[in-house]
Amino acid sequence: MERGLWLLEQATTEPMARERNVRSGSAVLAAQLTLSATVALAVTIIWAATGMGYFWPMWVWFGLALALALPAGIHSAWAEPRGRLRRLAVHRTLSMIFSVSVVVIWALAGGGFFWPVFPILGLGLAFVAHAAAGSPHQRDLAGRVDELTRTRRGALDVQAAELRRIERDLHDGAQARLVALSMQLGRAEERLEDQPEAAALVRRAREEASAAIAELRDLARGIAPPVLADRGLVAAVEALAARSPSPVNVSAEVVHRGPPMVETAAYFVVAESLTNAAKHAPGAPVDIAIQESDATLVVEVADEGPGGADPAGSGLTGLRQRVEALDGALSVSSPVGRGTLVRAVLPCA
Amino acid sequence: MIAEDQALLREGIVALLQEHGIEVVAQAEDGAGLLRVVAGHKPDLAIVDVRLPPTFTDEGIRAALEARRRRPDLAVLVLSQYVEPVYTGELLSTGESGVGYLLKERVSEVRAFLDAVERVAAGGTALDREVVASLVRERGRGDSDGELASLTNREREVLELIAQGRTNAAIARELVITLGAVEKHISNIFTKLDLPTGDDDHRRVLAVLAYLRAMQPG
Repeated sequence: MERGLWLLEQATTEPMARERNVRSGSAVLAAQLTLSATVALAVTIIWAATGMGYFWPMWVWFGLALALALPAGIHSAWAEPRGRLRRLAVHRTLSMIFSVSVVVIWALAGGGFFWPVFPILGLGLAFVAHAAAGSPHQRDLAGRVDELTRTRRGALDVQAAELRRIERDLHDGAQARLVALSMQLGRAEERLEDQPEAAALVRRAREEASAAIAELRDLARGIAPPVLADRGLVAAVEALAARSPSPVNVSAEVVHRGPPMVETAAYFVVAESLTNAAKHAPGAPVDIAIQESDATLVVEVADEGPGGADPAGSGLTGLRQRVEALDGALSVSSPVGRGTLVRAVLPCA
Repeated sequence: MIAEDQALLREGIVALLQEHGIEVVAQAEDGAGLLRVVAGHKPDLAIVDVRLPPTFTDEGIRAALEARRRRPDLAVLVLSQYVEPVYTGELLSTGESGVGYLLKERVSEVRAFLDAVERVAAGGTALDREVVASLVRERGRGDSDGELASLTNREREVLELIAQGRTNAAIARELVITLGAVEKHISNIFTKLDLPTGDDDHRRVLAVLAYLRAMQPG
């Protein structure tokens, strides 16, 4: 019983990210605890009522405590990241529960020669062997994967911040100067009305400046549409939906703004899917769902068109690369005659 | 009055307007400044940049909408470095008269810019040709859009020019066709878009707004 409580405490001090799991886990634990206590009380009463002979209920108590400790222990070990660390944690937990159990059995059976020393020694050696088994090479590899995952994320965040900075600099710097330049040229052109040749030269210069402004605008727009940067994913998706020739329904449950890269990727998933829907399923209704849960953003675009989309097509491949670069997953389900569903899951921690 | 944070452009516009006999009563650098000036100086027209301090996102649009809410008769001409149909739609939702949305570089086409300023100040509309073109392009992409699909290319061009607030004469000049041909195209557009008969000016606005309303989310 004590063991179970100790594990429960362990479980409640897990990191924030697992808070929800732990909370539902501890609710189950509390129910189990109540049930066990009731059963323990019942058998004790039965024991008392049947003449208080040999105190057999202690074996029932022991069994109940074990039943509590096992799932709680494994649950807490599961909190480790998947792979080697989690396997070791499970191994350690099981070994400890087993060791404590044999000591309790020894004590309940009346003590005497301390035979549990052998199984405990055996378990200890097995654990040490397991911990040492991962060759240095394997351990290096695991560490390297962790590090790469972290640094890739960092690199992408830096890249996103950089792109927004460039866009801002373009807007405030080059674009603004070009606008001012073209305006001065416009004023000059106006004053050269009596010199048509000079006016034509100035007009050409002004048109060149305007073309440069338009090119810069297209460049900045390719980075991210202004409404996405200004007002976030939901507003940008609603704008896409309003502009689409298909009837589109948007349902969004998003409270926080995700990292820029995630928002941009989600935006392009919707944009590309809507374009595909308008092209291959004209007039068919489209449903867009955006949901944010547990530090993940899930974007789904479903149309009721003819289906049969090619997941290896260039548009969808581009989207997949964009999503997978963020450690996300893109799935396309498009059975012939049953519509198309594009689903992107993007981690945004 | 003018709300624009980039001094170079702001001063240029002020000089341009003053050269052509338009009085600039006040200048502001941010949205709050715009609202103060609108309350204090009672200008006829506010020229507003979309991106203003402190957030540099859509401050200008928000301030312009708020100014229109407080003073519905205030004419607002929004200048932006990009075409954003959402913002155009929001602006038009505050009322169809006395609003304009132009790309910043249009200030270099002095005559056209001054025309737009005067048109908006007089209660008309001025939409940038890029704004209109992007709307017509997007709405016309799918076959499902029966309304627009039924227009001929020439009728679409005419509609784009109407949306920019051009007169029939200006449209005729631009497309190098006769005034009569323009009138015929316009009447075809009205029929195809199923607009009620009545005041022609009003129908022109309706023809354009038929698209723009669809741009507003929700």
